[in-house]
Amino acid sequence: MHYPIKSSGPWGFVQRYNLLSNLFLAVIAGLTFLPFYFLLITSFKNISQMQHHFMSPTLPLHWENYVIAFNQLIKYFWNTVLVTGISVPGVLLVSSMSAFVFARYSFPGRTVLFYTVISLLMVPFILTLVPTFVWIKQLGLLNTYWALIFPYVAGGQVFAIYLLRSFFATIPNDIFDSATVDGANIFQTYWRIALPLTTPMLSVVAIVNTLHVWNDYIWPLVTLQQDNMRTITIGLRYFQGQFQINYGPLFAGYILGSLPLLILFLLAMRPFVSGLTSGAIKM
Amino acid sequence: MNTTQSIAPGSSLASHEKKKSLATRLRKSGAVYLFLLPTFLLLAVFTFYPIISAFWHAFFRWNGLTSEFVGLGNFREMFVIDRAFQASLPNVLKLTAFRLAVAMTVPLLAAELIFSLRSSRMAYFWRVLLVVPMVVPFVVMILVWLFIYDPQAGIINTLLRSAGLDDWTQLWLGDIRLALWCIGFFGFPWVSGLNLLIYLAGLDSIPHELFDAAAIDGANRIRRFFSVDIPMIMGQIKLIFIMTLITQLQNFQDVLIFTNGGPGHATMVPGLVLYHSAFFYNKMGYASAIGVLLFIIIFVITAINMRFIRSDIEYTPE
Repeated sequence: MHYPIKSSGPWGFVQRYNLLSNLFLAVIAGLTFLPFYFLLITSFKNISQMQHHFMSPTLPLHWENYVIAFNQLIKYFWNTVLVTGISVPGVLLVSSMSAFVFARYSFPGRTVLFYTVISLLMVPFILTLVPTFVWIKQLGLLNTYWALIFPYVAGGQVFAIYLLRSFFATIPNDIFDSATVDGANIFQTYWRIALPLTTPMLSVVAIVNTLHVWNDYIWPLVTLQQDNMRTITIGLRYFQGQFQINYGPLFAGYILGSLPLLILFLLAMRPFVSGLTSGAIKM
Repeated sequence: MNTTQSIAPGSSLASHEKKKSLATRLRKSGAVYLFLLPTFLLLAVFTFYPIISAFWHAFFRWNGLTSEFVGLGNFREMFVIDRAFQASLPNVLKLTAFRLAVAMTVPLLAAELIFSLRSSRMAYFWRVLLVVPMVVPFVVMILVWLFIYDPQAGIINTLLRSAGLDDWTQLWLGDIRLALWCIGFFGFPWVSGLNLLIYLAGLDSIPHELFDAAAIDGANRIRRFFSVDIPMIMGQIKLIFIMTLITQLQNFQDVLIFTNGGPGHATMVPGLVLYHSAFFYNKMGYASAIGVLLFIIIFVITAINMRFIRSDIEYTPE
């Protein structure tokens, strides 16, 4: 909105540069980041520095806090990387295959099957938590990575199919027609034409699901009871119990646990932001 | 939705196809069903079966191995016997009401402030900055706030002591009167990056003619906010309302880490009763019944929202 600025003088200056809005936003951002400020400065302190200089950064920086935290958390970190590395490509493959045929083909049962999938968006996590746990136990999958991977792929694909189907439907027919003329079958059309054209939406699906795997707490907490199997979120929780008053290594661990997603965010800001917004449509 | 295409033989919508028998069409669509197979196999085993199991076992005493039919016994237990569950209901209502009030206001205010900036570079800067905390794992956020509230080394009490206000220090999460409010206060100033992005997307989609018209009519910024902005982003407001409601009704992750429902039952919520019943007392049937009850409540709210609450203001530029 560009309104003509009527007043001049100091008030005009304030208006021209939105000083009040910027000031207010700075206050909001400052309060939002205040806990992270304490997190960061404390992660470099030893016990004495923390007790005597609570609010300000101190020197020397105790990098060994990060070494202690890293050595303890690295195994949890790899567990999460492994689970993400299998379940996210799994979601991408399974959901894109279904979304592709739902969008581009007509076949008996198409509408019913599609709405069967989409209606699952209405099923909250809390309904299936306990029965899925008992079922995973009966299948003998407790304390295996599959206890996470199968439900993540099964659950993650639902919203992905919803997103991808509408994207596939927007691809112009001509592209598919010419592929048919050239003799491409359904598999070639999917792999060579549909998938490459869908890369932006696939990256959104990948980001939404990566965020979910890195944030999920309750499900890995109940299905992975052996320490060496734990994911990073659970690892951080148990890590907390080990340091009674020595907050330095503890907070270094929290920062290390947050870094992978932060790096992902900095590398892929645009799909990240659109991914978060589209992730919001899920109810 | 576009359905006509002509790639795979037998799967196009050409009219002569429709006259063929169902058997022929099914056979010719074989490859299509192959594409759907992984999805439905996974759903059948890891989604549909647990859903059926939840509704079935809600009427049983079930320890995961053996089950005994108890009719509505589990639901009776919730409302007649289980003190923790009864205590959890007012708590979850208070927490949900508080979180709704917060989600409806603070991120919207931040979005309006960002939207009002003339410099698009500054707008982008604030938008990204306020979204960054979203990538911090939720568990880390909770653990940091656990430190903020810590009675000995925590930020609040340390600041109070250094200001000479020792009398004002509290047990916070350990105080039966304060614990629930401390959990509500978690995340202050509550600028959820997600909600901010949704509000901003709504504001960005308002046609500029409306702002010009409001300016010509002499509406000031406040008047425009209530008469133009709010009605035009009603869809986003409702989306955030329903999302927050659904999330909060089933949420127990923060309570589990903060207080585990205590002190006493001061911060107990239904989701946590479910969790304790299942994973500490092995009462899988009772836990399933709580899950079913929460599902029904959430389902009814969502259905009401979709059926009766529609955006009533639409604007189409000529």
